[in-house]
Formats: sequence, structure tokens, C-alpha cells
Amino acid sequence: MSAVLQNLVNQPYKHGFVTDIESDIAPKGLNEETIRLISAKKNEPEWLLAFRLGAYRKWLGMEEPKWSTVRYPEIDFQAISYYSAPKPRKKLNSMDEVDPELLRTFEKLGVPMHERAALAGVAVDVIFDSVSVATTYKQKLAEVGIIFCSISEAVHMHPDLVRQYLGTVVPVGDNYYAALNSAVFTDGTFCFIPKGVRCPMDLSTYFRINTEESGQFERTLIIAEEGASVSYLEGCTAPRFDTNQLHAAVVELVALNDADIKYSTVQNWYAGDENGVGGIYNFVTKRGLAKGVNSRISWTQVETGSAITWKYPSCVLLGENSVGEFYSVAVTNHHQQADTGTKMVHLGRNTRSTIVSKGISAGHSHNSYRGLVRVAPTAAGARNYSQCDSMLVGDACSANTFPYIQVRNHTAKVEHEASTSKIGEDQLFYFAQRGIGNEEAVSMIINGFCKDVFQQLPMEFAVEATKLLGFKLEGSVG
Amino acid sequence: MGTVTVAGGYLESLLQGQPRPPSSPLAWFNQLRADAVERASALKVPTTRDEEWRFTDISPLLGLSFQPVSAGSALDAADVGRFHLKEAAIRLVFVDGVYAPALSRRPEKVGTGPVVANLSEAVVAHATMVKPHLARHARFQDDVFTAVNTAFMHDGALVFLPRGAAIRSPIHLLFIASQKAAASHPRCLVIAEAGSEAMVIEDYVTLQQEAYVNNAVTEIVLADHARIDHVRIQRDGIEAFHLGRCAVSLARESRYRSVAIALGARISRYNLDTLLAAEGAECTLDGLALITGRQLADTHTCIDHAMPHGTSRQSHKCIVDDTAHAVFNGKIMVRTGAQHTDSSQSSRNLLLGARARVDTKPQLEIFADDVKCAHGATVGQLDSEEVFYLKSRGLTETAARNLLTYAFGAEIIDRIPVASLKHRLERTVLDHTQRS
Repeated sequence: MSAVLQNLVNQPYKHGFVTDIESDIAPKGLNEETIRLISAKKNEPEWLLAFRLGAYRKWLGMEEPKWSTVRYPEIDFQAISYYSAPKPRKKLNSMDEVDPELLRTFEKLGVPMHERAALAGVAVDVIFDSVSVATTYKQKLAEVGIIFCSISEAVHMHPDLVRQYLGTVVPVGDNYYAALNSAVFTDGTFCFIPKGVRCPMDLSTYFRINTEESGQFERTLIIAEEGASVSYLEGCTAPRFDTNQLHAAVVELVALNDADIKYSTVQNWYAGDENGVGGIYNFVTKRGLAKGVNSRISWTQVETGSAITWKYPSCVLLGENSVGEFYSVAVTNHHQQADTGTKMVHLGRNTRSTIVSKGISAGHSHNSYRGLVRVAPTAAGARNYSQCDSMLVGDACSANTFPYIQVRNHTAKVEHEASTSKIGEDQLFYFAQRGIGNEEAVSMIINGFCKDVFQQLPMEFAVEATKLLGFKLEGSVG
Repeated sequence: MGTVTVAGGYLESLLQGQPRPPSSPLAWFNQLRADAVERASALKVPTTRDEEWRFTDISPLLGLSFQPVSAGSALDAADVGRFHLKEAAIRLVFVDGVYAPALSRRPEKVGTGPVVANLSEAVVAHATMVKPHLARHARFQDDVFTAVNTAFMHDGALVFLPRGAAIRSPIHLLFIASQKAAASHPRCLVIAEAGSEAMVIEDYVTLQQEAYVNNAVTEIVLADHARIDHVRIQRDGIEAFHLGRCAVSLARESRYRSVAIALGARISRYNLDTLLAAEGAECTLDGLALITGRQLADTHTCIDHAMPHGTSRQSHKCIVDDTAHAVFNGKIMVRTGAQHTDSSQSSRNLLLGARARVDTKPQLEIFADDVKCAHGATVGQLDSEEVFYLKSRGLTETAARNLLTYAFGAEIIDRIPVASLKHRLERTVLDHTQRS
């Protein structure tokens, strides 16, 4: 993070909307008291406190996982403050006050003008009235019965729904970080698409006002009832700066009969500097339950940021004929580490899954695909196709592939293939011959390499993602 | 909780309460064994909580008691004649892990020519050649079964090929199990000096169908431009436990070709580690597991490209019937600087039984950018279109399926360069696939 931005983020708040900041930050450390405090601050019902405490007790008995290839210094869980009121950021008065480096990034990415302002922290009403936009969207969603709000709000407004589904896909004791999240999560997104409703627009956290700072332990729950469908976008291509180093989010998706959930992520958190100093640890548990007959869950991710990305968006294919999809591009540069992939657990009959994973590593980075395709004895006629390709840029990086294939039904058909390639000098030469410079050539090659995944992204996202990749790898070739 | 005591009991019974092999006149050889005893006592028997043994539960082994056999065998040539290969002019026979000179056939050593002999005897005469290699490639520090083998290291084959030597006829190493509850720890070492060439056939067979343990370790060292063909046939008894390990080290421009077939044993595990330690080394690893009933066949391979310009090819197939369980873990490692590595790997699995199970994990770890690496894995049953095609040519459904299953396995068996062995194995596959 550049010094300018560091200052920007750390600047004390001057304009005084919140008077009593001190009292809204929990003391560092994690114990039952902290959890009771979080629950009390958020005025939560008794059952949620019990949920949190249950998770905390499970967490105490668990060990930090060590099996992955990612390496990082030990995390001191007692040195983290688990609750603070949303931090108001200093509002800038015009684009002129924004760090020029950030502007240059926006320019490269082609982020629309009005979004640049919002992302850079310029007071939105100065340039663009996004509040009214957000309000319009909210009204439109409410008309068709869609609930789209923060999870804290949902706990109060729709407690039965939250209680019915929370922790059903990712149980509190699922893994170390999921248990931690279940104990201390502070906010996140709740989305409910009622029976038969096709969500009229792509939902995105960007339009969910008041929750721009989603916090360290984010919790997302999306439910699509019978015949419902929704496309949800998480994150954005613009770099996102955050002072919290550890991020342990949990995302749960539930698709009932004939429902369809498409979850797209573009993650570009601070990745540390060129020497691998700093950067965010992104340890996320994402899982979708294709519960109903003919349901479908589709994950698309473009992972470019974070010092360490450690996540496996998964599909549990329980309903007959249900479909799971995973499309991923993971780019690592400098000293970044990524250990990502998916799990496709086939339980129902005639369930199908597709995995397309593209890993690009450059600099001194490590990029691993780790995946599981499991066909249970009950999953007659299950079908999986997986493809994971790696591209290495430079000779100091690494690319690993660890696909686990476990088949216990003889009518299943599972195929997996993986390959490795590089950006060849001959390719660049060919581009140069046609008058295309290195930078653009790399961008085009990468774009071709990742095409299968980008096609799955909503259009604006795809355009930005293409540029983002070229930008990330700038200077690593040639 | 019971497992701990049983596990201790198993190792204890193997290491302490049993006749130890006679001590060798070589101090370093005895020291090696002593170190291995110490290491084996410190290591635990792996459980399914160990990543390397995640899918292979060897706890049934721990409940049984096994004894190494020290007395020579009472078998005569008539008992073992059916295992002979007519192409093999050299044959070393081991019965329950003990060398049987009467059943073996080996050439008299002439001057400085190649050596094919029983390890425990030959090691004395050839100590200077053996010492730098024995237990240096198949390290016992992290592997309890290799440690146990090293602790009991006595009989086995020593194949030494001096510079430029070529043995045209295959070297047949025949390991026969004749007694129940026997524990054999055969140890083989193949040293191929520069430019030498040979074919080694490791053949594990049985005369009885009760439980026994084969814990075999083989080390193969190839110097520059050496060529070794290695065929390994595991046809142990249906109640047997087979724990095999082979460590191969390849020098510049050397070539190692392996065909490993697993047909027998209740639980079998084969670890094949190849280290491409110099530029231009090349290896081809082919494998077939054909299992049925409640058998479990586990193959773990590692191809370690440590230097540039290495080539590796691997094809592993499993045919799994009834409630059998096949495990494959194929790791390909391309180390930093091992540029221009060309590697490909395929794992193909045919599930025939409704409750058959396959766990496969082809694994790539790449630390160099200018390489060509690809792997693929498939699990499934016979292609219905292929079956349909054969039916349209007048074959019955059963005949069509049998033919296709046979063809699936025969692709690997065809790569065995010994005609009589190939035909015998094809026969076995054919018998296996003749199901109604």
C-alpha cells in the first residue's frame, strides 16, 4: 500500500458524524465475553448468541489447518479486535483529492466515471447520486418480493428465514475459519428470492448502501426458493484497501427445486508490495447446497488480489439432476500465494458438474489448484468434467495441481485434464511483428487463456477483468 | 485406541520377538540394519489419517502375526516349473524371502562381467560397489515399511552391470510364497553402470491362499546412458498383504521403463519413486491394477524432474470389479531450473462392480516455466457406443463387454517386452473378464 493511501485510510476522522468511537471498539482478544458483547451490540436474539457460542466452543477444540501449500506467519487470534462500529471514511470533496496512483488504476481498468468516485471514497452526493440509484433498485426488488439487505438487518426483520438456513450449508464446526466466522461474524449480505421469482437485475454489494465496509468476518446467505433465480456479484475490479489482515468470510447458498444461483466474485484486495510485505489473508469458506431437483449453483471467480487466497467454493449436489459449476481464474504475482479450487460432492442421481480453472503465476508467487470430485454411492449417473490449466510467467514461480477424484458409483463418469503452458517468446514475437506491443500482447494471450471463464462473467465485469489481468501482470513478461 | 496397542504389537512382533537375519561380516551392513531397527521403532504404522495412506486402511494387517522364515524351502523344481519364463536365461528364486539356489539358474561370473547374485552373499564380494547405493535411494527414514525391510535385509537380488555391459535375456527374479503367516522382506539392488542395459522382471507368486506379508524394496541406479527395463508382476495370494517400494535414480541420458501389474493380494501398496537426477533422463511408467472381490490395490508414484530436459510418460489403468477399491496417486514434480521438461500422465479407471470404488489423484507440482506438462484422469464404465458397435457386429452384450474390458487392460500388458509373460498375463485378464 502506498504511503499516501496508508495515510488516507488511517487518517483520523475529522468531520464528526460519530461522536463516541472509542466505546464502539471491542478490546482485543477473543473469549465468550467478546462474543456476548458483539451479540449485545447488535441487539441479537438469544438463538443467534447460542449459535455464536456453540461455534466458539467448537473453534476452541479445533486446530489451525496446516495441510495446504500456503505459508504465513502464525496468526495471533488474541491480537484482533473482533468488533468495531463501521468506520466512517473521510469523504473527499472532489476527484482532485484522490491519490493519483488509484486514479491511474481506474483508468487502466476502465471503471466507469461515477463508480471511480464512489470507490475512491469521494462523497457520492458531490458527483453522483448513488443513494437514489440504490433506493430505486431496492424498490424494484421489493415489488417482486426479494429480500436483499445486510444480514444484521435480516436477523431482525426476517429472523425465521435466517434461523432456518444459517449454518445449514457450512456447519459451525466445518473448519477452523468457518467456526471462527460463525462465532464472531459482524455483517454481510442476506438475500432471499421467493418462489418462482427471477431476479430482475444482477445483485451486487455495490448497491447495498451502508455496508461498503463489509468487515473482516463477513457472512453471506443467499436462498433461492423453488423456481427462483438470481445472479449475485461480489467485490469489484478496483483495488480494495483494508487495514484488517485476516479475512475469514463464509458464504452459504441454498437452491431449492429448479432454482438457479449464479455467484460471481472479482477479488482484488491488497496483495502486499513487490517484496511480499503486507497484504490480506483471504481464508474463505464458500459452499452452495443444490438441495432441490434440477437446481443449479454456479461459481465464477476472478482472484487477483490478497497476499494469500485460500478458498474452495463448493457445490453439494443433493437434488436429483442438480448442476454445479465452477469457473475460476486465479492470478498471482510477486510473492502472492493462492490455494484455490472447488469441491463437487455428488449425492443425488444424475447430478452434473463442470470445473474450469485457469491459474496464472508470475514473479515469485505460488498458485495451486486443489479440487475434489466425489461421487457417492447414491449418485447414479453422475457426470463431471474438469479442466485446469496453469500458465507460468517467469522461472521463479510455481503452479501445482492437486485434483482428488473419488468415485464410488460405477455408473458415474468423471474426466479430468490439466495442462501447463507459458507465454512463449515466439508468441510475443509474432504479436510484435504485427505491431502489437508486449503489454497488449500479454493481455491478449491471457484473455484467450481465460476466455472460458470470462464468458461466464456479467459483461461489464468481464471487460474489467480482462484489463485487470493485464494490469496485474504488467512488467512480468519481457 | 485399540489400534495403538495392536500397531505396537505388530511392529514389536516384527522387530523384537523374531529371529533376526544372521549378521553380516560387513560392519556397515549390520549398522544399516541397526539404524533401520531404531528408525522403525520410532515410526508409527500409518493410518488413514496420514495423507499418504488416506484411502488405504492397512489395519487388517496389524491384527495378524507374521514370522520371517529362516529355514530353506523344501520345494523342488516341479513345484515352481510353471512360473518359469522360457525367455529368461537367468533366474533367481526366493521362497518366502529366502534364496533357493537349487531352484535358481544363474551364469557363472566371468572376470569383471555382470553380476546377478543373491544379495546377502554377493554384498561381501562387491561391497565397494554396493555400499554407495544400498539404502541410499529407498530411504527408510520416513517410511516404516522400508525401515522394516532394511532391518531384515538379507536375501534378495543384486544385479550389477559394468560399463557398457548388456544382458540380452531377461533377468527373472521369482518370489514364491509357500507358507502361511510368513513375512518376507526381499531386497533388490540393480546398479547399471554407464551405457549398460538389462531387463529385470520382479515376479511375486504364491503356492497357497492364506495370509502372508510381502514387504519388498528395490533400488535401481542408472548411470549415464544406461537402460533398464523393469517389469513387476504382483500375483500374490488373495489373502496376502503386499507392500512394495521401488526407488529409481536416473543419470544423464539414461532411460528407465517400468510396467507394474497388480493382480493379487487382499491389500497391496506399491510406491514407485523415480528421480531424474541429471539432464536428458527419460522414464516411462506403466501400470495396471486388475482387482476384484474385496481387494484393494494402491499405487503411489512420484516422478521427480530435478534437472532440465527430462522426459516422463506415465499411463496407469485400473479395472475394478465387485467391491474392490483402487487407489492411484501420481505425483509429478518439476523442480526449479528443470526447464524443457516434457511430462505427461494419464490415470484411467474402469468401474465394473456396482460397489467398486476408485480414488485417484494425479498431481502436478511445477516450479519452472518452460515446460510441457499435462495430465488426465477418467473414471467410468465402458462406453455404451463401443458396446453398441460390437453388438451391431453380432457379439452378445456380455461378449462385447468382455472384449472391451480385455482391450482396456491389454494396452498396458502389451508393453511388456517378454512374449511368454505377456501371453500369460493376457490369459489372466481374459479369464478375469469372462463373466456372464
